[in-house]
Amino acid sequence: MKRKRIVSNAVKNGLLALYALFALFPLFWMVLISFKSDAQMFNTTFIFNPTLENYDAVLLRTDYFKYFIDSIIVSVIAVLISVLAGVPAAYALARYDFKKKENLAFTILSFRFAPEILVVLPLFMIYQKIGLYDTYFGLIWVYQLITMPLLIWVIRGYFEDISVEIEHAAQVDGYSWWQVFLKRLLPLIKPGLVSASLLAFIFAWNNFTFPLMLSGTYVETITVASLKYIASDTVHYGQMAVAATVSALPAVIFALLIQKHLVRGLSFGAVKG
Amino acid sequence: MAKIEVVNVTKRFGKFTALKNINLEIKDNEFFVLFGPAGAGKTTLLNNVAGIQIPEEGLIRFNGEIMNRIDPAHRNVAMVFENYALYPNLTVYENIASPLRSPLYKKDNATINREVHRVAELLRIDHLLERLPSQISNGQKQRVAIGRALVRDPNVFLMDEPLAHLDAKLRHYMRSELKEMQSSFNTTCIYVTHDFLEAVSLGDRIAIINEGSIIQVGTREEVYYTPCNEFVAALVGEPEINLVDGRLFVDNGKYYVETLEKGYLLPLPESSGIVRKLVDSEVTEYHIGFRPNNIKYTFEKKDGLIRGTVYSFESIGNKAVLIAKVGEKYIRMIAPNDLKVKLDQAVYVELPIHKAIFFDAQTTNFIGTSDEAAIYRLVQEQLSKGVQ
Amino acid sequence: MAFNIKGKQPKGAAKNDLNTVPWLTKARPYLIMAPSLLITIGILIPFGMAIFYSLTNYSFRLPNYKFIWFRNWINMFTDKAFWHAVWVTVRFAFFATVFEMLLGLGIALLLGNTENRFTKILRVVLTFPLMVAPVIGTIIWQLMTNNAVGILEKFLNLFGIYNFPWAASHATAMFTAVLIDLWVYCPFVIILILAGIQSLPKSPFESAKIDGGSAWFTFRNLTLPMIKPCIYIALLFRLMASLQEFSIIFALTKGGPGDTLMNLSVTAYNTGFAFQKFGSSLPYILVLWFIVNLVAKQIVKRWMQSQKAASGRDAAAEEGGKS
Repeated sequence: MKRKRIVSNAVKNGLLALYALFALFPLFWMVLISFKSDAQMFNTTFIFNPTLENYDAVLLRTDYFKYFIDSIIVSVIAVLISVLAGVPAAYALARYDFKKKENLAFTILSFRFAPEILVVLPLFMIYQKIGLYDTYFGLIWVYQLITMPLLIWVIRGYFEDISVEIEHAAQVDGYSWWQVFLKRLLPLIKPGLVSASLLAFIFAWNNFTFPLMLSGTYVETITVASLKYIASDTVHYGQMAVAATVSALPAVIFALLIQKHLVRGLSFGAVKG
Repeated sequence: MAKIEVVNVTKRFGKFTALKNINLEIKDNEFFVLFGPAGAGKTTLLNNVAGIQIPEEGLIRFNGEIMNRIDPAHRNVAMVFENYALYPNLTVYENIASPLRSPLYKKDNATINREVHRVAELLRIDHLLERLPSQISNGQKQRVAIGRALVRDPNVFLMDEPLAHLDAKLRHYMRSELKEMQSSFNTTCIYVTHDFLEAVSLGDRIAIINEGSIIQVGTREEVYYTPCNEFVAALVGEPEINLVDGRLFVDNGKYYVETLEKGYLLPLPESSGIVRKLVDSEVTEYHIGFRPNNIKYTFEKKDGLIRGTVYSFESIGNKAVLIAKVGEKYIRMIAPNDLKVKLDQAVYVELPIHKAIFFDAQTTNFIGTSDEAAIYRLVQEQLSKGVQ
Repeated sequence: MAFNIKGKQPKGAAKNDLNTVPWLTKARPYLIMAPSLLITIGILIPFGMAIFYSLTNYSFRLPNYKFIWFRNWINMFTDKAFWHAVWVTVRFAFFATVFEMLLGLGIALLLGNTENRFTKILRVVLTFPLMVAPVIGTIIWQLMTNNAVGILEKFLNLFGIYNFPWAASHATAMFTAVLIDLWVYCPFVIILILAGIQSLPKSPFESAKIDGGSAWFTFRNLTLPMIKPCIYIALLFRLMASLQEFSIIFALTKGGPGDTLMNLSVTAYNTGFAFQKFGSSLPYILVLWFIVNLVAKQIVKRWMQSQKAASGRDAAAEEGGKS
């Protein structure tokens, strides 16, 4: 009996290790070759002399930082706006009962599932007409389609988790309804809000379709820019690796921070982790 | 301190009517108990008095002033919620201090410190002040919730089953603590419970509520000795009152009731006026209520007693409930814990017809009681309160 | 303290009516939601426009456009390329979703049943592929499979396979695209299903063990029904997303080689941007949107059913636990 257990455990762990290899090796290898000089690229595998020349070439000699900053500007402001407009909306959906409430909520959710291409093609034309093409504002506004539904649905779940009686108690204590919201409720959803915001940031940061078609010269996010590094006919593989590594870094770091609330965020509140 | 009036209040939630035309007048400084089974509407009523909900019809008045339009913060009420409703991210100290930091009832830090400690010592939670709600037991949470209410000097205390989640021993202790505090409160208090013992031990007056309507309002004696219908009679009293069918029987000018078995007659006492009441009511089919603690029994055959068999014997603490099957009915009686008894043993029951309550069998309404002593006490009570 | 707080009359209160909720209070939820709605609905105007322009021959090359009504649509439905695009869309979505779900389910079950330091760390790090942008993921795999320097190429060399075409050949392009999609999104499925497994109540499983149920029995009759809601959510998100996948395919081959990977999204992009035939591109995506909605409705319906079924059993388990 015990032998069976040991064998089955070994098999389980073995399979998991295989998957871990599949999932993580590409990332590991990418970081690895970002430190490999072009000369060593062809004839060495794992053992080589690491160098920073690729980082130097990409970060200091190209516009990489500009792309990085552009991504930050667009993603951060997009999330901020979604938070400011979305948190009250989430509260309204959680607490109030009004006509067509669920219809409204699902409409907001459906924005997330709309094909990006469907939005982008007409938007391309409209933006050109009203001068929002290739602007920060234009991108930030489109990004709301990604960030706002996520925030609203996830934060709604967190509000619903708070017992209504706490609000009643605060009212009886002498606080008006917006003071109840600010002083009693917001502190309670803060962890969830932070995680949802970080997840929304990751989605915004990773977006490719919108900046591809709605911006190009003046505003360029890192996802679109990275493709440039591949598209060029160079054989500077190390530099491509650098571009990939640096753009993946913020998302991975944030992912570590929001582990606890990840499930809620990814499933839009449908699954409580 | 405030007189609270609930006038014709109806509260609906969609198609469901939670409160049906409620009328209550709660006197200043009164400890008023709202008693009824689960789902009766007690919490809804408290919420309407507090201003958390607004009734669809009717008015709420504090000292004559209409409060319908006024939000809970401005009504100056203090409420203890059934599920405590403590702020999870604040310490016990901050939870209790919360009302004293609100813009409406703000006090300076020195006063807050003094008041919170005073209340915490009273409730014996002063050693917990730096803890979070997640770090204390249910009983302690309950006391923090009560403390948050006690730091206030409100128009009225609203308490929603504040002892419901405590274990028996703690509940007993808190009940006596509350009773002691009650006298020094000097504030109106509306107290909700579904526990009969709590209701009678704490309340100046008790309102019995069921399915959204007030059934009866009265002192503990009134609802115990003169319950307005069978529902109230069954609700108030532990173990539950026995209700048996009976018929009026006249023989030679003497009045009897025939009950339990054909031909078993109990003579009605002349002096208590019950005969007059029964005759005047023109009802002849009754349900007669006998409280278990008034019923006597013996295991030897005796004249005038009716024969039954022992159905069950169960201890309920410092006494026991003996149930006898008499005919088709099961009669509950109080017996000492150490009584030696065998199932199906013959037992002879003496129904205390001189301490019985009579209900109309059709309407279940109260007709009268034969308990002279109780009637006398109730009359005295009315007289001492003066003309209301 | 005497009764002394004068109440503040709430705004929007009708003068003589003491029982109606003041209109400002009633309007409050709508007012609170207004900003979010303005922002998102504003963006949705394009949807309407898409339908409008699909009925025209709008092109970036021509100065004017005119209504050609359903000619775009008819052209599309009679174009072989369109049906090819539908086929590619469905094939890609099917393979990607099926493999992601199966692998994800398997790994989630393994992780749910094993508890040691390794699995704890694994649960955290396996989210990394998901956090990386799909475009970046594609770049990474392109580097790995590069015939000159890629590590996978070197690995296959050990087995005597040289110059495996990956995305360059018609035969293997779909496989490569599905592989990359799997790499990026499998963690999504794993996390969701794992959350479902971890929230399962213990008592039914304990009683099944006592009753002597086999592992398969436990899985089929206890685990599976109770995690079905999670499975449906994962299925819903993955299917909807893979039906309209653009980034990965575009970054990989822009739809090639030839038209191997031309799903509806990429085809629409090409028609609209590369060929500048804006009006004709829109029907493609409208069809896509229609398909996505249809599929979504079906899955959401099944999800709701499974939720009821799962919670019904849950309640029964709790009931048994209480007594």
